[in-house]
Amino acid sequence: MLLRGEELSKSYVIGDQRIQAVNAVSIDLSPGEFVAVIGHSGSGKSTLLSMLGGLTRPTSGAVYFEDESVWSQRDVPRSLLRNERIGFVFQFSSLIPTLTAIDNVVLPRMFGRERVSKDVYAQAEGLLETVGLGEKIHCFPSELSGGQQRRVAIARSLINRPSLLFADEPTGDLDEQTEAEVMDLLLRTLNEDNTALLMVTHNNALADRADRVLQMKDGRLL
Amino acid sequence: MNLFTLAAHNLFRKPFRTAALVLAVGIATAAVFATATLMHGIERSVDHGFSKLGADLMVVPRGTMVSMERALLTGEPSTFYMEADLADEVNALQGVSTVASQLFLTTADAEHCIVGDAFLVGFDRENDFTVMPWVSDRLDREMQPGDVVVGGGSDFELGESVYYYGQYFTVYGKLDRTGIGLSDNAIFLDLDEAYALAEASRDYDDVELGFGPGDISAVLVRLESGADPERVRFALAQNSGISVVAAGNVVTGVRQNVVALFAGTALLTGVLIVGNILMISAIFSTIINERRRELGLLRAIGARKSRVFNLVLTESAMLGAAGGVAGVALGLILLRIFNRTIGFHLDLLNIPFLWPPVENIALMGMAAILMALLVATLGASYPAVSGARLEPYDAIRAGE
Repeated sequence: MLLRGEELSKSYVIGDQRIQAVNAVSIDLSPGEFVAVIGHSGSGKSTLLSMLGGLTRPTSGAVYFEDESVWSQRDVPRSLLRNERIGFVFQFSSLIPTLTAIDNVVLPRMFGRERVSKDVYAQAEGLLETVGLGEKIHCFPSELSGGQQRRVAIARSLINRPSLLFADEPTGDLDEQTEAEVMDLLLRTLNEDNTALLMVTHNNALADRADRVLQMKDGRLL
Repeated sequence: MNLFTLAAHNLFRKPFRTAALVLAVGIATAAVFATATLMHGIERSVDHGFSKLGADLMVVPRGTMVSMERALLTGEPSTFYMEADLADEVNALQGVSTVASQLFLTTADAEHCIVGDAFLVGFDRENDFTVMPWVSDRLDREMQPGDVVVGGGSDFELGESVYYYGQYFTVYGKLDRTGIGLSDNAIFLDLDEAYALAEASRDYDDVELGFGPGDISAVLVRLESGADPERVRFALAQNSGISVVAAGNVVTGVRQNVVALFAGTALLTGVLIVGNILMISAIFSTIINERRRELGLLRAIGARKSRVFNLVLTESAMLGAAGGVAGVALGLILLRIFNRTIGFHLDLLNIPFLWPPVENIALMGMAAILMALLVATLGASYPAVSGARLEPYDAIRAGE
């Protein structure tokens, strides 16, 4: 098993109210598998993804990545896990506006164990070519369209050849044609490396392409 | 790409804000640098002047210590007298190497071509170690009767004649400028000629010099190498008619005066520095808030807390370094602009001043840049900790 979430719960206190965002959810993911989590806004799917991805600590429950507890680790090994084994594609344009497309792609390597070398830049250039942006490597995000920015984010999520990719509404603000192109690209590149994908979406058409579809409602898996 | 290039890119994101911060740090640095340079200049000139005086101890009549210090520091004419035989008594003490007597006399405004308020010092040429070794310019001949040596701050030229109580004197030599009033402003003549001048003054009823042969004002003492100044002071203290002052104590006293003089400036500078730290802290808190989502993203792609902390501190350090360099440049420009006016004002306040050597100014410049670095990193440290502690998911969702 690549990833296992056991009895994951997350609650927030807002004023006098306690909000139960995720309630005792268990989930697992095998290598190379594509799982889609669907549900309405506020159903807790993004919170679930963030707990599984080591971005927010669960109120209760545990997450295991290759049988190692993610939340028992200290910040440094957990950061390295996110850096080397996991990729993220977010709903919003997640590029650093002051960096060019290629620098944005290289960014995760800067926070890794090794120095950023010329080889890393060559690899980033290759990834940008794969996502169809070979001509735009020195463009800043403001010079790219929404779809192009999302492609750069996908290239960035793959720079460390992760075993698992988390995608939170990766095509949320794209038009239908661009959405299809981005999804095709994402699935093709993941298949090549046998990378697992856990995607959160409210788009049933996208979810239909997954190996497994899980539905969330009021913080619980149905 | 590395942390530095990422930090530099971030600084250029809002050029006006960055420039304003650099300027603010620069102004504080310029104030610190310029003040430190001036204080160092004053301290140095005091040290320099007293080292040229060459005396370890000075013996003066009891109760005249304040007048003596004023005479030494400012060159203000002072007159007090004791018996010349005291010099022999001091010379006989164990640990004393050489003694040199000096006699202070001041001319008064009057008719008969007497120039008023000149500070004349009669010195014992035979045993002198405090005047002649420091003559920087002199006539091309041996010193002879009727010659005087003028201080480094005097307007008299070599060979010029000066006239006191019916007697002409020739300016034989000029001392190197020391920053000490006595050396810079007084006119030095042979002790015997000073006594002759007192005799001559009897012809001028209302401006007669009030001393005679056998009087001196001070005995300057040079100790033997390794001698304990405190033991000699103790031996001298047995004579109830005198006071003993150590050159070092006068220097310390001057330092205290300088510190007091600059206390207000130092306080303002301190307030400026604290203000800078608070301002940088407030602005970096705003910056962290603006970039919450980006910092969350960096954490999501694997940046450790320490890397986020270092990124913010690197930005602030770059800003501090730029502000420091700009501040030192601004300080140098200010010091250059006010070069003459500062000297004039310090003269008015009777504060000795010599510019510090270039290497010392360079060292102070580097210290000022380091201070700017420290101010900027200290100011940004709390926001940096806050930024590093952000939970990635909460930070990413910022603004949603």
